[in-house]
Amino acid sequence: MTRLMTARASRSRIRSGLLALAISVLATGLVSGQAATVSKNQKEQAEQAADLAGFQEFGARVQAYVKLQKTVEGSLPGLGPTDLPEMITAHQEALARKIREARPHAKTGDLFTSAAHSAFRHATRSVLEGPHSASSLAYMQPGAPSPGMRLVVNEIYPDTAPFTALSPELLAAFPALPAEVAYAIVGRTLLVIDVKSRLIVDVARLMFPPPS
Amino acid sequence: MRMRRVLLSLVFSIGVTLVLAARGGADVAFPLQANSVRFAAIGDMGTGESFQIDVARQMAKSREAFPFEFVITLGDNIYTGSAPSDFDKDFAVPYKPLLDAGVQFYAALGNHDSTNERFYKPFNMNGANYYTYKKGNVRFFALDSNYMDPKQVAWLTSQLSDAGTGGWKICYFHHPLYSSGMFHGPDLDLRKTLEPLFVTYGVDAVFAGHDHVYERILPQRGIYYFTEGASGELRAGNLAPSAITAKGFDADRSFMMIEIAGDDLYFRTTSRAGVVVDSGVIHRTIRPTPGGVSHE
Repeated sequence: MTRLMTARASRSRIRSGLLALAISVLATGLVSGQAATVSKNQKEQAEQAADLAGFQEFGARVQAYVKLQKTVEGSLPGLGPTDLPEMITAHQEALARKIREARPHAKTGDLFTSAAHSAFRHATRSVLEGPHSASSLAYMQPGAPSPGMRLVVNEIYPDTAPFTALSPELLAAFPALPAEVAYAIVGRTLLVIDVKSRLIVDVARLMFPPPS
Repeated sequence: MRMRRVLLSLVFSIGVTLVLAARGGADVAFPLQANSVRFAAIGDMGTGESFQIDVARQMAKSREAFPFEFVITLGDNIYTGSAPSDFDKDFAVPYKPLLDAGVQFYAALGNHDSTNERFYKPFNMNGANYYTYKKGNVRFFALDSNYMDPKQVAWLTSQLSDAGTGGWKICYFHHPLYSSGMFHGPDLDLRKTLEPLFVTYGVDAVFAGHDHVYERILPQRGIYYFTEGASGELRAGNLAPSAITAKGFDADRSFMMIEIAGDDLYFRTTSRAGVVVDSGVIHRTIRPTPGGVSHE
């Protein structure tokens, strides 16, 4: 009888112990889950702050470029609507030449700094991973400019190369640009080009995911 | 008996004509009404090759019977580059008879165009990538579908809103929202952005190019869509007619002529050889919009 009671008490103690262990594990899990969520949120917030800073840095550098471009263009005869294509071509070529002279040491990364590149990458991914990204991938589709095209800062975007239509969603996700410059896409590369001179202002390679 | 047979034949004939006209199969005559708006539409034409010159010649010939006043271009106006000789070869020379006759061109930019074409006076863009103008009871919106940024979307929204509901609204640009062309097909992202605006503000018809074929689409959410991307370039056999295709033509180059008389838009698409490949009439109708406002 005594042995039976001892055995019962022992089973009860084991049951209580297991219950306490389960509660403890559950509680630890909850706390660590919450901690993970908090950590994830903090990480996202930090990333957003870094992206914002990256875009601000990009914006400041774009403004500096546009200021230079306007100064240079101001030294040339103005270009308005004309019947003479010679005037358009002459303006384009003179502007390109003078901008090159004004920034002889321009190089990849002048606008797309490391922080800006990272911010653009995040913006790009967020659009391309969305539900309506099919034609955002136009850069991979037939008729897009050849990914092998030579893309060098301070050189001209080739005269006969087509442009990739930029998805409105991508353009909405990127910082707005002044009228003097525009985004362009060639293969997986994002460019900023000078609209009037067709100069490549900067190049950000591997911005877009590879064709699947 | 004979009289009855003749009458029956006549009724049958009229019936067939009406059905074909509704579907665009018959050659619908232009009414040539006083004060109507008459224009032509061409796209993907600027190659400087003999095919473009043939189409331009056919346009000039057609103009003798249908004196259109201006031409809208749907992009890829100058393919071969941006040297002065390219402007001449791809535009000024082929369309010289039309230009000499005082026909105005109102261009939209394609993916092969230099944005500096906006400074070329004969394109009437006045230095802008996108712009609007009015002819008679028609408000035209020439858009830059290469670069539909929030700024352009805001501009279009404002312009469409300001245009009111009293007349036709026609948008044209390079990349088609609907297309059964196999090479490019529809630009779905652009459609997602533009179609709600077109519906909300009562756009009646849309013209695009890019796919090197001709196609008329069945009305989508009350809007008529045309692709005319074969006025110089051509991708023969590239059209895969789909459930939304009303009429297609991909055997030769083509161009469109349009007359808008009151609430009716008459269109005719003619091949390089002068054969009418599509024609019909669109009646401007009142249709409800998501906001509950009806547009004429």
